[in-house]
Amino acid sequence: MVARLTLSAADKRGWAIIGGIILLGALFIPLSQLIFDMRFTYTVRVVALGGAVLGLLSGVLGSFAVLRQESLLGDALSHAALPGVAIAFLLAGRELSWLLIGAGIASWAGLRFLSAILNTTRLKQDAAMGIVLVAWFAAGIALLTYIQSIPDASQAGLDHFIFGQAAAIIESDVTLVSAVGVVVLAVVALFWKEFKLVTFDPDFAGANGYRIGLINALLSALIVVTVVLGLQLAGVILMVGMLIAPGIAARQWTQSLDQMVIQAAVFGAFAGAVGAVISALDSDIPTGPMIIVVSFLLVLLSITLAPGRGLLWSRLRQRANRRRFAAINTLRDLYRYALAHGSEDTPAPDDFIRGVRAGSVESGLRQLRGSGHIMQAGAGWQLTESGIALARQDQRNQRLWDLYRLHGDELGLPALPEDRQLNIAAALPAAALELLESKLEPSDRL
Amino acid sequence: MMPLERWLIELLLNIVSREELNAFLRSPQNSAALVGGLIAVSGALLGAFLLLRGMSLTSDAISHTVLLGIVVAFLLMTEFFRVPGDTSSPWLILGASLAGVATVLLTELLYRSGLVRQDAALGLAFPLLFAIAVILVSRYVEDAHLDEDAVLVGEIGLAWANTNSHCFANCESVTITPDHDAAKFARQCRNCRELGISPRDERAIFSETCSNCGLYSPAQAWTAGLLEREPELVFFPKSITVMLLLTLLTLAFVLLFFKELKLSTFDVGLAQALGFRPGALHYALMILVSLVAVGAFDAVGSILVIAFFIIPPATAYLLTDRLSLMLLLSPLIGAAGAIFGYDLARGQLFGFIAVADGIAALNRLSGLALPEEWDSSISSSMVLMMFILFLLVWLLSPRYGLASTVIRRAKRRRVFENQVVLAHIHNHQHTATHEIELNAADLHEHFRWSKQKMSRVLTRLRALGYVRILAGNAVLTERGDRQVHAFRQTMLEAHNMPDLPA
Repeated sequence: MVARLTLSAADKRGWAIIGGIILLGALFIPLSQLIFDMRFTYTVRVVALGGAVLGLLSGVLGSFAVLRQESLLGDALSHAALPGVAIAFLLAGRELSWLLIGAGIASWAGLRFLSAILNTTRLKQDAAMGIVLVAWFAAGIALLTYIQSIPDASQAGLDHFIFGQAAAIIESDVTLVSAVGVVVLAVVALFWKEFKLVTFDPDFAGANGYRIGLINALLSALIVVTVVLGLQLAGVILMVGMLIAPGIAARQWTQSLDQMVIQAAVFGAFAGAVGAVISALDSDIPTGPMIIVVSFLLVLLSITLAPGRGLLWSRLRQRANRRRFAAINTLRDLYRYALAHGSEDTPAPDDFIRGVRAGSVESGLRQLRGSGHIMQAGAGWQLTESGIALARQDQRNQRLWDLYRLHGDELGLPALPEDRQLNIAAALPAAALELLESKLEPSDRL
Repeated sequence: MMPLERWLIELLLNIVSREELNAFLRSPQNSAALVGGLIAVSGALLGAFLLLRGMSLTSDAISHTVLLGIVVAFLLMTEFFRVPGDTSSPWLILGASLAGVATVLLTELLYRSGLVRQDAALGLAFPLLFAIAVILVSRYVEDAHLDEDAVLVGEIGLAWANTNSHCFANCESVTITPDHDAAKFARQCRNCRELGISPRDERAIFSETCSNCGLYSPAQAWTAGLLEREPELVFFPKSITVMLLLTLLTLAFVLLFFKELKLSTFDVGLAQALGFRPGALHYALMILVSLVAVGAFDAVGSILVIAFFIIPPATAYLLTDRLSLMLLLSPLIGAAGAIFGYDLARGQLFGFIAVADGIAALNRLSGLALPEEWDSSISSSMVLMMFILFLLVWLLSPRYGLASTVIRRAKRRRVFENQVVLAHIHNHQHTATHEIELNAADLHEHFRWSKQKMSRVLTRLRALGYVRILAGNAVLTERGDRQVHAFRQTMLEAHNMPDLPA
């Protein structure tokens, strides 16, 4: 057990990021009170809590949906829940738990119908999903229109299930959702290993005797339960966004499943709570759309800023690489020209050097002059002493790499990833380097 | 658009009288069925190609995003250009379709970044744009034709009411100027608003303004009672014109580029190699899908429209293997769904089953007291009707239907059972152990079948005259022997093996 507690550097960084994000999320409450002059009345607290619990659940289960490439299945499942709400209302009246059970059954029926079509016809998944999505949704709308014609006041609020309405959430709803949520999370924790296995390598799981069909069905059932619970808040049309956005955002920050799930839970809770509160404060803003907007902002933030994968960092890395290549290529051009036209310090004419490498030469010349490797000589560029040393060093490094490629195996040199930016002399052990240097041409020896 | 509409009406007036045409178009049922049918035809034609390219859900994506285009264009029209917002205006349709295509490009960009998978990119981008649109609609748009309900189900039942009027005889347009007899005047306070005072304040300055001045088209003039002779008018629903144009455009596209579409749908590589530019065709298809989705928005909203793209082609796909036949069947199925769907909304299933009877039966069975009158959303009933047609075809299709699949599988199982037993008898009947191997009483043990199954198969084989029971042993008849040889021969030929030595 002790061995498991030692974490790798990447793991440590992941957990540090998660801790930081949780801290920021927690700080958000006092900050919003200070800056936006928010008042956390009883209603707002209930709504925020409900949003946070539902967001947390969606984040956890949504991570699996994202990894299994079933994002659009979530869309179909949530649309398919609508007729269940209407039928449950017709049969049992406006009791939230019955409505949710009805929604769950309808959604599950949609899922079974989907696999029936896929198993017995040649329709592909996208068309089958489209059929289930729109047919179930149309049935729901038709039933809701029928219900609206019933002269009975209690039907009010059923259409909140379409776009979601946070303001309608009351304390008993939060209790119900939390109770079911605890069960769902417990099942996820219990079957963690199995879910991980079927998500990443179902064939391997099957070969090892796990009952994939059963595990998949359980995971799908949990996703259905989550979708159904979230309907009140996000509505059938936009539930898919609440389900998958936290997972997509979390995926950018980490490479491990446990970190991803926890982070998705945090993101989901944040988006759910903030979206619900904003829409509870302004009744003109429906909740589902607001949660989607907040979640998408989190995704945008993650895609640009996440360390490693983030677009910002990869752009910066590309830029730095381009600059380095510009400098080293210009240096090589100058050195090659000088050697071909006399000695190492022969200046190369400006228009020649610009003609050879049009795009990057400006940046290269500027960098080299800044670092004192070249100087202006009349209408041309001449290598300085340090420039000549650097060019020689570079040429020797490239030769060594060439030789390593040619003779590495026959000399029994240790395996290196071929990255020619690296100094091979530093990467190889001294004895190996000596062997390699013996292959150098006499003129290149030091 | 107006001259085109006029031309169309003149064409129609050659066939029917003006009164008949007006009466036909004023019926909500006729207009709704016509609009729904046109959406179904154009949607099904495009949807067939989407289905075969495995892109059915792209129509879902596009229909979600064009909503944002529609809302933004609508807001621009009303807030920025100060013209009355009209969701069937050609400019709005064009602008909103561009938004649809732009978003297809955007998702492609999103998943090309390599950070998000394609399904996740679709599942993320489209709810977002839809969400922004819904927030804009519920927060900023105050218009009866563009609210959350219209987004969901559209207003196909009101298609007949939103018309352009065309005048053919006795056309007098009237301009009422302040000195006209019929002009009415109203006193209006000129400086109340800027001073923030009530009209009763003594500082208020009043001016007389004409409240009904302006240009009256013949139809307006007649309704306002300004004309003595009734003008000959035809009222033509705007949605019919829009959808008719889009249907003709779609039809022309499919007919003109049939070969190219077919090639690039089934073999993109070959189409590319032959220089047919499948990429351009792909975007043309996307543009048309966007156009139809925007054009249909008024009638069926932005979600149900995907049914018109997906369900009819999927149904036709279960009926035929030929692209041309599929392109013929899909629009027919879609139009049938739209036409029968109107009846379903009014409580009639296929014209002879009443939904009310079903509800009454349910009430009797369950003791509920649900109202028996069924009057529901027209657009969702059209979708449901298409789905019912899909279910029927799925059950009954001669080649790919559930029933025929079950029958085919059962038949195959029977043939397999027959052949296995025949081969077993054939292998053992002249050997030393045939008394053990072919004893009819425990033959089932050699196959690990149940006794019942074995006796069923044996009865069948005896009825076919392939097998006899001789002294408790199963023996092949001459016919059975021929059958075994014939079967073996076909198997050998099927696997391309050399013939057995005689």
